[in-house]
Amino acid sequence: MSGRDFSLPDHLPNHRGGEPASPDELPRQRNGITPQMHGRYPNHDVLDERDHWDGVTRRVVLERVDQGPPIRFFTAGEAVTLGVFCDLVMAQDREPRVPVLNMVDAKLFDGKLDGYRYAEMPDDRETWRQVASGLDSSARQHGDHDFASAPAHIQHQVVDAFSRGELRGVVWDSLPCARAWAVVMRAVLSEFYSHPWAWNEIGFGGPAYPRGYARLGAGQRESWEGSPATDSDPVRERPSP
Amino acid sequence: MSTLHSLRTLARGALRPPENDSAFLLDVHRRAVPTERMARYDPSYEVDLVIVGAGAGGGVLAQRLARRGWKVVVLDAGPFWDPDKDWVSDEAGSHGLYWTEERIIGGKDPVELGKNNSGRGVGGSMVHYAGYCPRFHPSDFDVFSRDGVGEDWPLGYGDLKAEYERLELELPVSGDHWPWGDPHRYPHTPHPIAGGAEFAREGARRLGIEMRVGPVGITNGAFGNRPHCIYRGFCLQGCKVNAKASPLVTHLPDAIEHGAEIRADCMVASIELDEGGSRGPARVRGVHYFDRDGSRVLQRAAAVAVAGYSIETPRLLLNSISKRFPHGLANGNDQVGRCVMVQGAPQVAGRFPMELRMYKAPPPEISSEQFYETDETRGFARGFSIQTVGPLPIGWAEHVLAAGHWGGALREYMRDYNHWYTLGALCELLPHPDNRITVAVDCLDRHGLPVARMDYAQSENDRKNIAFAKQTMRDIFAAAEAQDMLEIDRYAHLVGGCRMGSDPERSVIDSDHRAWELDNLFIADGSVMPTQGSANPALTIMALASRLAGRLAGKQVSGAGRRGLTRAR
Repeated sequence: MSGRDFSLPDHLPNHRGGEPASPDELPRQRNGITPQMHGRYPNHDVLDERDHWDGVTRRVVLERVDQGPPIRFFTAGEAVTLGVFCDLVMAQDREPRVPVLNMVDAKLFDGKLDGYRYAEMPDDRETWRQVASGLDSSARQHGDHDFASAPAHIQHQVVDAFSRGELRGVVWDSLPCARAWAVVMRAVLSEFYSHPWAWNEIGFGGPAYPRGYARLGAGQRESWEGSPATDSDPVRERPSP
Repeated sequence: MSTLHSLRTLARGALRPPENDSAFLLDVHRRAVPTERMARYDPSYEVDLVIVGAGAGGGVLAQRLARRGWKVVVLDAGPFWDPDKDWVSDEAGSHGLYWTEERIIGGKDPVELGKNNSGRGVGGSMVHYAGYCPRFHPSDFDVFSRDGVGEDWPLGYGDLKAEYERLELELPVSGDHWPWGDPHRYPHTPHPIAGGAEFAREGARRLGIEMRVGPVGITNGAFGNRPHCIYRGFCLQGCKVNAKASPLVTHLPDAIEHGAEIRADCMVASIELDEGGSRGPARVRGVHYFDRDGSRVLQRAAAVAVAGYSIETPRLLLNSISKRFPHGLANGNDQVGRCVMVQGAPQVAGRFPMELRMYKAPPPEISSEQFYETDETRGFARGFSIQTVGPLPIGWAEHVLAAGHWGGALREYMRDYNHWYTLGALCELLPHPDNRITVAVDCLDRHGLPVARMDYAQSENDRKNIAFAKQTMRDIFAAAEAQDMLEIDRYAHLVGGCRMGSDPERSVIDSDHRAWELDNLFIADGSVMPTQGSANPALTIMALASRLAGRLAGKQVSGAGRRGLTRAR
């Protein structure tokens, strides 16, 4: 484990020409689960605190962890394409994965939408289906492959153009690309960062009712909040006299 | 310091608001509003007033008039929340707090709705607002005369000052002595602030920008049976503690105690015109609603007050079609839905060496109104305020995405969450008649009612204002020696759409909130505002409703050629 100093911002993409430091430089998560087991807070498992949460919150959060809802809204073909897409945009390149697409599928299946629709866009459910076919058609512009089976650099290129609203072609001529990106990413991020595994990864303290938070100052944490992996170097930093 | 000052300081936090016992009527052992003794009116009985919407406007209006002996029924499309059972300390689990039925957004700069700015259920949007409760400035009420933009109000700051003072005791509001606008103090002392706010305040101080703590409608100390805030940070997900003010805990318990009925899960479909009188001003005789079983019911009333906020209020009027009002009730001059406004609400986040954990403490901590009024050197009219926001993980992810990151870069910024702190501006965007709520007749909701469509575009002045506000926030973080910054463009709040005015050709209601074309139809929510300042609107919506209630109860509402309000008693 390298002694990374998180008081410095040098791991952040803006300081590295857009490329983040590799998460593999972080230790492996030791307590609980994070997506891909990246351990920025290796001993912090927010689920250890479940007994301190109020009952309704505990039920809502634990259902999210325990249930991997089946795919019911998307077709098998759509699910393959969109599964690869969700893995790419959340950089989930190995297990354990937050089952983002299954969570999105459940929400769309239940018709839980967000309360607004752009005038030039279809319903969010239809947008998702069109994005699936749009990703495939964009991948085929680069060769014989659908999006899911295309080489990694093509997939990356397509997603990058999608993120900049620059995809053109069959589907995209009638579906505004930038708006579609906003619709799908809003859903992906809402699901991924609703999952306690993601909270473990970012060091979020999680639900705090009825207990509350008491230590609000810079550099302070509650006794039960996780400390970062490498914010002190025991060799360099000697105990003060 | 005077003796008066010392006495006031001594009494801070211990002052009991006059004529509102809500905080004392709540139960000590549970958070739900006690409704065991609530009145139930038969819909065929003509009540004195039916109010559509139990939010900031409707809640205050109901409490005030119930206290004065009016028989009041409040209908709300959403549930009567029980904070213990219905609310969670969880972002995604709070989806039900928002208006999630379909709405269409269009125009050059569409405004995203949903969780950002829509409410549902008893308590309205104040259930999930951050808690900021600033007053408007005196300059807000004559913007056109001062700056040649926007619109003048048909009333002035002096008409609302006493209402502001009364409401600040009722919520109660906590904060530093307030130096901006009409300088004033707050009944509760300022809350402690978290580490991130300390950095931001220091950055601002180095630039000569003053930031003060508050003002927030969050108890600092016990208040009746409402406990002290526990700094859990989930203000935007509904306060399970009952520490944060919303009409659900600040006004409706007292309204119920004085005979008002809050009828939840009732979606009002249309306002019923009294077809009897074809001559003279038109009158309404009640509202049609769908009850929780989906049955259509007519609640009769001597007067109707609509308080459904800037989208549902115009929608209800536009969906209330009659021979006399073929284009919507009170819409003879084609003003309903026009001049709807949002505030520009860009956010800038700064990165610091220490862990700040911005999820702790209420997101509203400190604010500055130093840039509120016009400064010609800035190159645009009117201004903005600067506040703090504490995005939780999903909100923070949207922040990172807006900066153009996805995949590994997004994950890395997310892993760095605990080192960031976030400032947000509220920019006064100007009213424009083409920014408008209409109804989409080809798109119906589950009751068969046409849904609302909101079209919005910014003006050149608006763009300059937002750009200047963002630069100011970047400057503050730079002065605070932030190591990295991320920014996001967004909107906040909704007001206007049924504005008050002194000219029926340019407004929907008069200064007494009465529709120009109807004798007994009132509007009592944020939709009445001609301009919006750069203050969060909640307190002013409440103050307007409080003033209206005083005028109705005091029989001061009269007009040339109009019959007085008849009260069924």
